[in-house]
Amino acid sequence: MRDEIRKIQELMEAAEYVTDAPVATSVHLAMRLRKPLLIEGHAGVGKTEIAKVMARMLGTNLIRLQCYEGLDAGTALYEWNYQKQLLHIKLHETSGRSAKEEEREIFSEDFLLRRPLLQAITQQQSPLLLVDEVDRADEEFEAFMLEVFSDWQVTIPEIGTIKATHPPYVILTSNRTRELSDALRRRCLYLWIDYPTYDKEVRIVERKVPGIDRRLAGDIARFMESLRGMRLNKVPGVAETLDWALALASLHADHLDEAVVRETIGCVLKDADDIRRFRAEVQKAGLEPFLHVPS
Amino acid sequence: MPRDLSSAVVRFAARLRRQGLPVTLIHVTDAVRALEHLDLADRQELYLGLRAVFVGRPEDVPAFDRVFEAFWRPVTEADAVAEALLPSLPDETPAAEREGELARESLALDAWSDEDGEAGDEPLGVPAASEREAMAAQDFATFSEDQLDAVYRLTLQIARRLARRISRRRRPSARRGRIDLRRTLRANVTRGDLIDLRFRRRKRRKVRLVLLCDVSGSMDLYSRFLLQFIFALQSVFSRVETFTFSVRLTRVTEYLRGRSYREVLRRLTAVRDWSGGTRIGESLGEFNRRWPGLVDRRTIVIILSDGWDTGDPEVLAAELLRIKRRAGRVIWLNPLLGNPSYEPLTRGMAAALPLVDQFAAAHNLAALRSLAGTLRL
Repeated sequence: MRDEIRKIQELMEAAEYVTDAPVATSVHLAMRLRKPLLIEGHAGVGKTEIAKVMARMLGTNLIRLQCYEGLDAGTALYEWNYQKQLLHIKLHETSGRSAKEEEREIFSEDFLLRRPLLQAITQQQSPLLLVDEVDRADEEFEAFMLEVFSDWQVTIPEIGTIKATHPPYVILTSNRTRELSDALRRRCLYLWIDYPTYDKEVRIVERKVPGIDRRLAGDIARFMESLRGMRLNKVPGVAETLDWALALASLHADHLDEAVVRETIGCVLKDADDIRRFRAEVQKAGLEPFLHVPS
Repeated sequence: MPRDLSSAVVRFAARLRRQGLPVTLIHVTDAVRALEHLDLADRQELYLGLRAVFVGRPEDVPAFDRVFEAFWRPVTEADAVAEALLPSLPDETPAAEREGELARESLALDAWSDEDGEAGDEPLGVPAASEREAMAAQDFATFSEDQLDAVYRLTLQIARRLARRISRRRRPSARRGRIDLRRTLRANVTRGDLIDLRFRRRKRRKVRLVLLCDVSGSMDLYSRFLLQFIFALQSVFSRVETFTFSVRLTRVTEYLRGRSYREVLRRLTAVRDWSGGTRIGESLGEFNRRWPGLVDRRTIVIILSDGWDTGDPEVLAAELLRIKRRAGRVIWLNPLLGNPSYEPLTRGMAAALPLVDQFAAAHNLAALRSLAGTLRL
């Protein structure tokens, strides 16, 4: 293994992020090849976290663009600060300056509101641009973003073209609520994060809930693994695991039994039907099958 | 970088492409660059690095794994690494096996295309107006095989005309909304005051459609016409997601993308489930579990089925309710409704009816035309 990749893994672990070789390798290549990294996976598996850790590793700013339905180029790139412009005009009404001068004045950089994409290309050091939940934005926006990514320059009619001197590192995340375009996928390195394996989940729990009982951590990870194998409407992610582990630790539990699980299952299952189905399962065969080591 | 290594990457990429991965030249150059940053003696690292470059979606991982496994074979002597990176496999995967697979596939693909003939690319005559009206009123199921092609054409024609009309209706109106300060300021910059007010209209967002089409038994024909119709209308919507179901649910959106309708129908055959029997409730349940994000307030969900459900009607009702809670509107199309004496008495239909916002026929072109007028939120 390359030292750089091992280093990344160590740095991530030091930043309280439990990682593995696929994550470290992808991050390494994204930094070396300077390509955007598209991270897909279920909600709550720690996609956004990677960007935060990577920014810390690079010692650079994290600029976050949170996507939502209806997000448009204006909101992502720049807007004019019209209140300020208006005020400026009012204040200088009697100054006798020509309209042309006035116009030049109020459409200058002082009156520009930099939104995340513009911020990302006007930094003194390459920042990390996190485009979060890109699947929630429209396809039109995706196309616009590809355009920006291709040459890292933006034209503002009143000012001119701004080209990035330090192009950002880019991480995109998606929950896969819709299929992203092939064009976007082609531009990016790709990382799929699945639910953690048993070992990884134990490590996550032990790392994030210090002092948790060893046996309990193992039970929890095993239980989550079985649970995710059920047909559920809302499959619990790592965030749920941690909520639950914290709750159990504060109850001073040292292993899972039916009573404890019954009282706290709401931390993990958040859909009425799922809870009903789970209870029926436990009624039928007890908790044992959930803690059983799958062959 | 050794020449051999780059050429190995090129050949590796070609194999991936043969296995159906959408590999482009960008991928190849990226892969070559990536190798400079990877420890080539570490096979696992090589695997992870190349996977990050070549694989764009989790479904492609198994195919990638197969090709990688066969191509980059492990060696024991460390100094033979470079040599080992050269492929030493026979060039083809077992040919007989592949052909068998292909034959099966094309068999499925042909089942539909044969009936509408291959010679259809030259423009056929379009029926006259009176004929057209008669055609629009006729139940799809009553057309003979040789008429179907003309009906498809007419379906397309009507849908396209509707699409044009709907998009014209969407153009900005003179209606006043909130004042748009930014544009007002821009327009008045040469005056001392804000005289010429500019207004901000709410951008009208297009609706999203989710189609769930029953393709069991007689519903198959009607589903094909509905898909055909919506396909031609699709520029009107922000997004159309299509699923077919009988016993199982299949997402066919990708199959339908950017193709001629002839090809579309051909492709659909590949996903058709011939086993008969319909489990609407289970299919809707699977839709809810696997694609919960597709339905929101801006979405119209259209289900086409006769409601002949061999599953549990309670499951159907529960899953339908789940959709209804999130959707902007739920429309159930039942072609049998075109028959005046039909009553929705099947258990499935009875369970579903109280939960849908709109119940319509879709058994002929006239019905599809009036459906189009209601696809707004």
